Amino acid sequence: MTAKSTGNPAIAAPARELRGAGMLSTESRVTASRPAADLVTGKVTGGTSSRASGLAVWALALLLLLFLAIPVGALVIRALGTGGAWDTETYEILRQALGLSLATTATTMAIVVTLGTPLAFLLARRRFPGAAAIEAIVDLPIVLPPAVAGIALLVAFGRNGLVGRWLAESGITVGFTTIAVVMAQVFVSAPFYVIAARGGFARVDADIEAAAADLGATPGQVFRTVTLPLVLPSLIAGAVLAWARALGEFGATIMFAGNFPGVTQTMPLAIYGRFGAGDMAAALLLSVVLLLASLLVLLGVRIAGGRMRDGV
Amino acid sequence: MVGSRHWLMRHRFRRFWFWLSCLAYFAFAWVPLTSLPAAAQHSLWECPSSITRSEESEATPLSVSTPVAEFPGEGGGLTVFAAASLTDAFEAIESELESANPDLSITYSFGGSQALVTQLTEGAEADVFASANVAQMDAAIEAGLIAGDAATFARNRLTIVTPRDNPAGIESAADLGKEGTLLVLAQAEVPAGRYAREAVCRMASDTATYGSDFVRRVAANVVSEEEDVRDVLAKVTLGEADAGIVYVSDAAAAGEQVQVVDIPDEVNIIATYPIAVLAEGDQALGSAFVAYLLSDEGQAILERFGFQPVDQ
Repeated sequence: MTAKSTGNPAIAAPARELRGAGMLSTESRVTASRPAADLVTGKVTGGTSSRASGLAVWALALLLLLFLAIPVGALVIRALGTGGAWDTETYEILRQALGLSLATTATTMAIVVTLGTPLAFLLARRRFPGAAAIEAIVDLPIVLPPAVAGIALLVAFGRNGLVGRWLAESGITVGFTTIAVVMAQVFVSAPFYVIAARGGFARVDADIEAAAADLGATPGQVFRTVTLPLVLPSLIAGAVLAWARALGEFGATIMFAGNFPGVTQTMPLAIYGRFGAGDMAAALLLSVVLLLASLLVLLGVRIAGGRMRDGV
Repeated sequence: MVGSRHWLMRHRFRRFWFWLSCLAYFAFAWVPLTSLPAAAQHSLWECPSSITRSEESEATPLSVSTPVAEFPGEGGGLTVFAAASLTDAFEAIESELESANPDLSITYSFGGSQALVTQLTEGAEADVFASANVAQMDAAIEAGLIAGDAATFARNRLTIVTPRDNPAGIESAADLGKEGTLLVLAQAEVPAGRYAREAVCRMASDTATYGSDFVRRVAANVVSEEEDVRDVLAKVTLGEADAGIVYVSDAAAAGEQVQVVDIPDEVNIIATYPIAVLAEGDQALGSAFVAYLLSDEGQAILERFGFQPVDQ
């Protein structure tokens, strides 16, 4: 298949780079992406073998799609089937857990964006010794299993931890507080934002910024009027990923912050708690509400970001 | 770079709508935070009006004709779902049984008894179910998961554990009500959590020793409600919590890592551990495992791990 539909990599590759920098016009983007589409649908040659391989591509893709969709569908179907679970107790758990989840993730996002943007900017733009090591540190929490993140936070900020011991002496304990929930979320979600933002900053053409500076713009003006509009999509994409990761954060939270309604019990912990309590109906209900909330945010971002093609 | 062709990055954002939705999200998310009480309402657990004895009914002792466990010659794989508190004892039994029967391979799944019943109801495959209380076994029987009768194979009692250095200075059960003690319990739905709350209720009825308002004072100290009893123990051994209520067997497993503060007999709860072969499981292997637990050998191992043996 690859041998037959060569596309034209010589054109496609630079086109991709330009597109990444947000520099390509709409027309040339459409032409550049056509070979890729033909590759999938198998329209290039039209031969039998190519049709068969095209079918194979569809079948494989469909298989994964089904695997992703079936659990979500089952969740919704089962939750609809147990509609009677909406009692005052479940409502109280939902209200506290959803409220806490929204509040902690909002706080996390504020922290991640405020501190993560400068870090991403420096990593993308400045050459300094140890940059590779710093990038590795930033990336590490992504590959760490949640349990390791939980233990790491405990030995760092727990009452007997490296920093926590010193904090406890000055009368501050973070364990079992909402602060611990936010700390766990920042730890696991910040890398997603920083990586996306770093990529965004790296793709901005330095020549445009230089041109703006030549025209008399101050560094602040250059950043606000040239750099920021160009990286904003990357920042938002990173922020959405980080937000999703923070919302789903479970392992590190339950190990580091504990589990108490209204203080540390976020939605994932509440769902796990209901499941552990044998209250499947409530667990399903909470899961579906979390699903809907996530969907709402994703759709919101899509609507805010979509449909806008003018001026690109 | 990461996700450079993601839909989020393909469009420029309509700035007004973007900032408006950000604002809306943060406003919406932080509002509940202000309405959350600084210290969440510590829901008082209900104490039964007449506290005389545990309503725990005994599982009928299984009449085992041959107390010596005979494993089928060809061995095979045996899957046991067991309450979290049985972890260490059952692992010792595994190495004992597997060295005696080289063809036998035992797999455990430990968890809160409630969660295990939920998993079994949802179709998890196992041969034997060992519960930390009769209520969960009854639930399993009611769900039609059990073949034959359940047998009581061990008993356990509660104890208070504190970190080795006992930072809150817990000397007796009455100190659980001391203000500012970071107390961790298992959640009310799992046996260990229910027993712990029952024990506190019994203490409260003795106002001469435990003072007035004991239940409210203890409830106000609870900082985390853990999924199962082993999570309670972990929070204490790490030194994150000042005290926890666990089984004597858990305290024995933690050894030197914790200090044990006894709960007097008159307020203590004796937990009963029933075991049964599952209807869908391997009957021969399952009953051989149950028979081994009830044999002198099996009982000796359980006793070594802090359980009270059952009289045949």
